[in-house]
Amino acid sequence: MSVSSRIHARHLAELYRLAAERFESLPAFATRGRNKVWVPVSFRELYDRGRCIGAGLVDLGVSAREPVGLFSDNRVEWMLADYGIQLAAAVNSPRGTDVTQEELVHIVNHSGMKLAFVENAGMARRCLNLKARLPDLRMLVVLDEAKGLPEGSMGLAEIEERGRKLLEAGRTDVDARAEGIVPEDLFTLIYTSGTTGKPKGVMLTHANMMSQVDHVPIQLNCTDRVLSILPIWHIFERMFEVFAISHGACNYYTSARNLGDDLKQVEPTFMGSAPRLWESLHHRILNGVRQAHPVRRGLFHIGLFLGTHCREALFYLRDNDLRLEPVSPLRRGLRKCRYALQWTALLPWYGFFNAAVLESVRLKAGGSLKGTISGGGALPPEIDRFFNAIGIPVLEGYGLTETTPVVAVRTPEKLVRGTVGPMIPQTEVRIVDFDNGDILYPDSTSPEGGRGRRGEIQLRGPQIMKGYFNDPETTAAVLSEDGWFRTGDIGMVTWNDCLKILGRRKATLVLRNGENVEPEPIEMKLKLSRFIDQCVAVGQDQKFVGALIIPELSAFREKGIEAETLAELNRLPEVRRILQEEVRAAMADASEFRRFEVVKDFRLLDEPFEVGVEVTNLFKLKRHVIHEHFADVIAGMYPVEKS
Amino acid sequence: MIDPDIELLYAIDKALLGVMILVIMFGMGASLTLNDFKAVGRRPRMILIGFLSQFGFMPLIALGLSHLLNLEPALAIALIMIGCLPGGTTSNMFAYFARGHVALSISMTTASTALALFMTPVLLNFYTGSYTRAIAEQMAEEGSFFIPTKDIVVSLVLVLVPVLGGMILRRFSRGWAKVAEDTAGFMGMIVILFLIATTLGRHFRLVISTPWPLYAATISLGLIGFLFGYWVSRLFGAHPIQQRAISLETGIQNTPVAFAIILMSFPQPQVQNDMLWLAVMYSIFIVISSSCITLWLRKKGQFDWEVYKNTLIHGRLFGEAYVTRYPKAFLPARIAADPSQGALSGEQLRED
Repeated sequence: MSVSSRIHARHLAELYRLAAERFESLPAFATRGRNKVWVPVSFRELYDRGRCIGAGLVDLGVSAREPVGLFSDNRVEWMLADYGIQLAAAVNSPRGTDVTQEELVHIVNHSGMKLAFVENAGMARRCLNLKARLPDLRMLVVLDEAKGLPEGSMGLAEIEERGRKLLEAGRTDVDARAEGIVPEDLFTLIYTSGTTGKPKGVMLTHANMMSQVDHVPIQLNCTDRVLSILPIWHIFERMFEVFAISHGACNYYTSARNLGDDLKQVEPTFMGSAPRLWESLHHRILNGVRQAHPVRRGLFHIGLFLGTHCREALFYLRDNDLRLEPVSPLRRGLRKCRYALQWTALLPWYGFFNAAVLESVRLKAGGSLKGTISGGGALPPEIDRFFNAIGIPVLEGYGLTETTPVVAVRTPEKLVRGTVGPMIPQTEVRIVDFDNGDILYPDSTSPEGGRGRRGEIQLRGPQIMKGYFNDPETTAAVLSEDGWFRTGDIGMVTWNDCLKILGRRKATLVLRNGENVEPEPIEMKLKLSRFIDQCVAVGQDQKFVGALIIPELSAFREKGIEAETLAELNRLPEVRRILQEEVRAAMADASEFRRFEVVKDFRLLDEPFEVGVEVTNLFKLKRHVIHEHFADVIAGMYPVEKS
Repeated sequence: MIDPDIELLYAIDKALLGVMILVIMFGMGASLTLNDFKAVGRRPRMILIGFLSQFGFMPLIALGLSHLLNLEPALAIALIMIGCLPGGTTSNMFAYFARGHVALSISMTTASTALALFMTPVLLNFYTGSYTRAIAEQMAEEGSFFIPTKDIVVSLVLVLVPVLGGMILRRFSRGWAKVAEDTAGFMGMIVILFLIATTLGRHFRLVISTPWPLYAATISLGLIGFLFGYWVSRLFGAHPIQQRAISLETGIQNTPVAFAIILMSFPQPQVQNDMLWLAVMYSIFIVISSSCITLWLRKKGQFDWEVYKNTLIHGRLFGEAYVTRYPKAFLPARIAADPSQGALSGEQLRED
């Protein structure tokens, strides 16, 4: 029996109010306070305090539909600030504290924000130091006042107090503000890195977010505990938290350091996170196994074996196997018989090992997980298989900031490994040929409807953004008149109607921890070195950024290192040493590159890129081709993790 | 009646079975602590309900089935004996997966195992009078037949020795106790598979020729036990989580003890064969039926279990004084009426 406690609302302000009325004293958020003790904040408290902050913001002159900055990492005050912003009908524009100086300047000036919330005194000082470059930013509100309030900023408590007095005096303009919100109004303006380098402001509306709450196929209710670890300014985490609020579930904030403890203490029933987290959990479990008694280790491996093969059979029997090619019904029928036999033969053993061994493994993740959503990058297949085998279903999803973000996600009923599941309700997908724009899927003229064809994924649905802020040109490039959004990702639709992501045509690299890296600035910087002719930054779904480098023969010759061909040159040890030094020097400027953007390893290529093959006739890199051609070289750079 | 000349279990099988019983009972002990005994005193009401359904209803269900299905005397005695047995540790594992109250299940197992020394022989004598006389008449030439109370007590004491040994191991090393517990669990499955293999492999004719009432009796004993346990405890106001534990505890009997008693106390070949055959069938069917019931209870109990867990975790994280209040009409009346909202007044799932 599943009892729903979902709230339907037209916009976030209404959602926040209804959640307070329905869930009252239930905890909405919980964080570790001093002495590491968990402190809950109820739906009622959040709303009441948020309303005061909203009233305070209105009083400070924040107008409706005005962008308000929110530069902070996860904390309950983030949510309080957001409640205030939404209830005042303003637009929040969030970013974490790891924002670079240039990005900060761009975001503040491009959005035209006059007021910004900042996490602490340190962040406030960073903004104050840039004052000359941020002419419009008039007010800074510090969320955490523990380290004091720098001159020229005010505390969150002060705004809250100001609002409280106004409300007590009967000045309830803020409520009228919230009343006036229409679903097409923006609720957030998220700046993401784009291919052109400068961050773009993605405009997402209340209707976008509410459609996610209504259509993302996850079952939650107010007995659920959601463990949150991703940065809240990522749309994935943000959507998840709003989703939890609309169901009365409680968000528990954890961190990478406390994760192991918190999994056991909170016993979460649901979690959303990036592939990196599943890897580290996988690692932790296997480490525990390695240290265990040999008998238990043996039992674990038998359990894992049985789990893997039982699930595999079950996936096939339920038509949830990865179906990239059509298979005749007869052949499928025969295979089903085989898998049915396999399943029946293993079931009693699996039943026992599931109870005796796998359950204790699941307890390492709290033991109550009903499911987990992975997003923000491709989940490595072996991790995927592992968690499914031990009985923690991993629901991989797909989406972009521009799509609020979920467009497709696996569900417990359609858990097809290797795909990101079926499209969520009301969302359409089409696969379009990159070169000529032909629609490959859906295709009513072909018997298979266009399944199995590869091309660009294009999407249409209620979650697609309104556009990029003040950038009609870029908006027009990705958003067609009839509402189709071009993702720049390559994909296909499988025979059981799930979406499979094959790669990215767009240059942006998404590392395994979910961080977006723009390769172009890195490549440009590297190419400044006289020893480097051409280079490509790689690292999609990997732990770090790597590079493929084609050395400059002539530069080495000048240095007295003679070689006839690149292949010959690349075999000389001093070449690698020189290039290592060059790469290190290029990456040294911390203000230019963030820690995770630094190139940590590289491989040398023996042939220059061929025009028309790896590069266009304008010498633009054809990244998907390069990734394909040098897949082995790239893979060699990233050590295979032992499992 | 089974042909007394058939050797249902060879000597080597009996020896193997004996070793397995030893391992299983040792593992059972390894999962128990003195605290589990003390905990019995802390929830007397539920233990009493469990006691009532285990030693009150189960023997009666067995007796009723014997009469209803007109079982032969030796089979009837075996069925009633199984009805009079204490619960086994398997029920604790099933209670865990059925989202039942594991601590209660452990307490009931502990209490019934201790009480079995007295209850099993007394109840067996009480309910099997007419059947014993019937056998005695049949065997008038070979000698007399009676329920060997003394031997039964001795067998019970003998199987309790490894339990005690397991408890002592647990006292000194938790790690090894855990290994013993798992080994016993694994052994439990091996026993079932061993029994299935021997009966199907060696006595296939017997499987086919076994009359349907015997199938009906061995299958229904467990199922009716689950039903009674579930509803009787409900009648006495048990929380769904306790209901599920009591239900499984009632239906699942400690079959290794049954084998021990049959092998040690009933040496007459034809009586022993009949009784063994019934015990084998019960052991096989109870595993299947309790697996199915567990899956069903698990599904049925998901909601109240989640409410219970969530309330419990709130108390653990936010302090005992924290009160969790769910929205109106969210909780079904039965749980909502409980002031602890399913948290059983903060009682832990398993105390250790």
